[in-house]
Amino acid sequence: MKGFRYVLSLVLILFPLLLIGGCKQDTGQETKTVIHFVTWKPNIPEAWDEILDIFKKENPDIEIIREIGPHSSTAFHDMLTQKLKNKSEDVDVFLMDVIWPPEFGAAGWAMPLDELFPEEERKKFLEGTILANTYKGHIYGVPLFIDSGMLFYRRDLLEKYKLPVPITWKQMIDTAEWIVREEKRQGNEIYGFTGQFKQYEGLVCDMMEYILSNGGYIIDPDTGRIGLTEEGTIEAIKFVRDNIIGKIAPKGVLTYQEPESLDLFIQGKVVFHRNWPYAWEVSNNPQKSKIAGKVGIARLPHFPGHESVSTLGGWQVGISSFTKKKEAAWRFVEFLTSIRVQKILALKAGRAPTRKILYEDPEILQLYPHFKEMKEVFLTAYPRPRTPLYPAVSNVLQRFFSRVISDPSLDIKKEAQSASEEIKKILALQDEKR
Amino acid sequence: MILSPITRERIFGLSLLIPCFLFITVFAFYPIAYSFFLSLHRIVIGLPGLGEPFIGLENYRSLIHDRIAIRAFLNTLVFVLVSTMLEIGIGLVIALIINRNFRGRGMVRAAILIPWAIPTVVASQMWRFIFNDKYGLINFLFFGSDTGSYHAWLADPTAAFVAIIVADVWKTSSFAALLILAGLQIIPDELHEAAKIDGASAWQRFWRITFPLLRPAILVALLFRTMDAFRVFDLVYVMTQGGPADSTNVLQFYGYKKIFAEGLMGYGSTISVLVFCISLVISIIYIRIIGTRLFRQT
Repeated sequence: MKGFRYVLSLVLILFPLLLIGGCKQDTGQETKTVIHFVTWKPNIPEAWDEILDIFKKENPDIEIIREIGPHSSTAFHDMLTQKLKNKSEDVDVFLMDVIWPPEFGAAGWAMPLDELFPEEERKKFLEGTILANTYKGHIYGVPLFIDSGMLFYRRDLLEKYKLPVPITWKQMIDTAEWIVREEKRQGNEIYGFTGQFKQYEGLVCDMMEYILSNGGYIIDPDTGRIGLTEEGTIEAIKFVRDNIIGKIAPKGVLTYQEPESLDLFIQGKVVFHRNWPYAWEVSNNPQKSKIAGKVGIARLPHFPGHESVSTLGGWQVGISSFTKKKEAAWRFVEFLTSIRVQKILALKAGRAPTRKILYEDPEILQLYPHFKEMKEVFLTAYPRPRTPLYPAVSNVLQRFFSRVISDPSLDIKKEAQSASEEIKKILALQDEKR
Repeated sequence: MILSPITRERIFGLSLLIPCFLFITVFAFYPIAYSFFLSLHRIVIGLPGLGEPFIGLENYRSLIHDRIAIRAFLNTLVFVLVSTMLEIGIGLVIALIINRNFRGRGMVRAAILIPWAIPTVVASQMWRFIFNDKYGLINFLFFGSDTGSYHAWLADPTAAFVAIIVADVWKTSSFAALLILAGLQIIPDELHEAAKIDGASAWQRFWRITFPLLRPAILVALLFRTMDAFRVFDLVYVMTQGGPADSTNVLQFYGYKKIFAEGLMGYGSTISVLVFCISLVISIIYIRIIGTRLFRQT
């Protein structure tokens, strides 16, 4: 009996150790190199399946395992950085939002690709996208597709009422109000506008477009001045609060990211819609959209006396600094950003290419005649502040914008002042380093 | 060396405690101590060049002056108070009902537990749909096909906060009910029968017999719920991400944001330590109360 007790206690002591030991990965025989690719849930999954199938066929020695993250850029960032912070081996290749390369580079998470992605190769891409991937002289990602805010509209409705495509925000409001009123008279309940106004990264993108197209700014890239309290900035925010939220747009836009806002548009419930270029493909796909063939696309409106401004977005492919399969990872990155894959993404998923040559591709231009014009928009698209501390700055901005547009009783100027203070404090950390 | 049987028993007993102790050390003490260690440093993930300087209580000092943290703290406090009160109240009612004998009781008991068995993330996602402004069930129940008056619940600062509470109450009332039911079942029937013979009404029997004997169980439920509610995270993460306008921003979510979104490891850890300290204080108070009460009974 005694002996049994000692055996029992020994087992109990050793048990946790066994558990810990059990966590180690099985090192079975593997002939394939496994590449973990961290990506989000695609809007058009078929296109991605096709792309990965091609890669599989051509590279039988590499197996790609997709790790699907959240759709929201902010939530995706949280998940990915958590893995990278822990030097996870489950990440070899990952997608990066246009705002992350400075942070990922400074933190040592993204591998510098200077040698793999040489100067003459970079010249084949749109300049803005290369700049976005460069931080302190090193390049950390290869641009996959470019995004910039566009105005989508119901061509059929504008034609029905013989109204022009709005040039200024005020015109957009008037046009939307007119059409909504007239449609309502005919028993058709619709809204004037949807965009992205939830408290997340997309809110900063959307708000920037109003602010910059009114001569305001967030952070001046040359002087580093914070422009939240400027007249133009405040006016633009006030315009959004008083004329858009709960007015021509349903109050629910305060909870909308891209999918929710696009949903209303493709259900035929909205006249105007702000989104990234992929919305063109979705809204013209008869299987998903009730308004296929009735959609128009244009530059975003602006305020009188100013230029229209689109926020620069888009996604890059990066390689983790902690990967043990650099060669295979690069082969995959090279493939993903190649001309033919970008072409598939353009044709099947509506993603605007980052390679200049594709803007002369007859097949693409036939399907998307507006791409030729959009190239101009892409070349002038405005980047968000470039700093490794961008996520922290963005959180302050998200909070500030969300507060002032959802609560009309708040004094925008006062809120802007305290947000500026907070941003200053964050950016001070950066100067300390120098 | 010959040890006396008592010493051997003692050594044996202690050796049996080692695995448990090791487990708690690795998975509880170490992370807590490490969080505290981190909270005394300035660590900015995006700027490794800064190093990780020791800054003493600097983070705690900024926390006191951080108006967003204070707001998040108040939000958490209101959330804890309202949701635990409702959960215990509803849990008590549920427990009293399912303690009675009626046909299909087994089914009802099992059904009551379903919300609690669903993973919070799934339940939160479900509630997000229910509160949706265009196709949500709540809007349909209130307004039917009158889509014009559909309300964007999660877009309204107050309504969004209420929505989070509703989701939490729905999800965890049954857990409180389960604990209270366990307490109900140890109350001997003889007490009720004797009281009945003495002519006590149902109301009197509840307040004079059931409730006093149920107190320890209610306190235990209260303890679990308060601590859980203080660390609310998943509901907020899925349903609102702290918005709109920070109205649903709670301490845990704010700390998470600081660490994982903004990369401020030190400052975020400070918030975690604060949440830990508050939970610790609460549990000590509760355990004191429960402890003395149990002591008095025996």
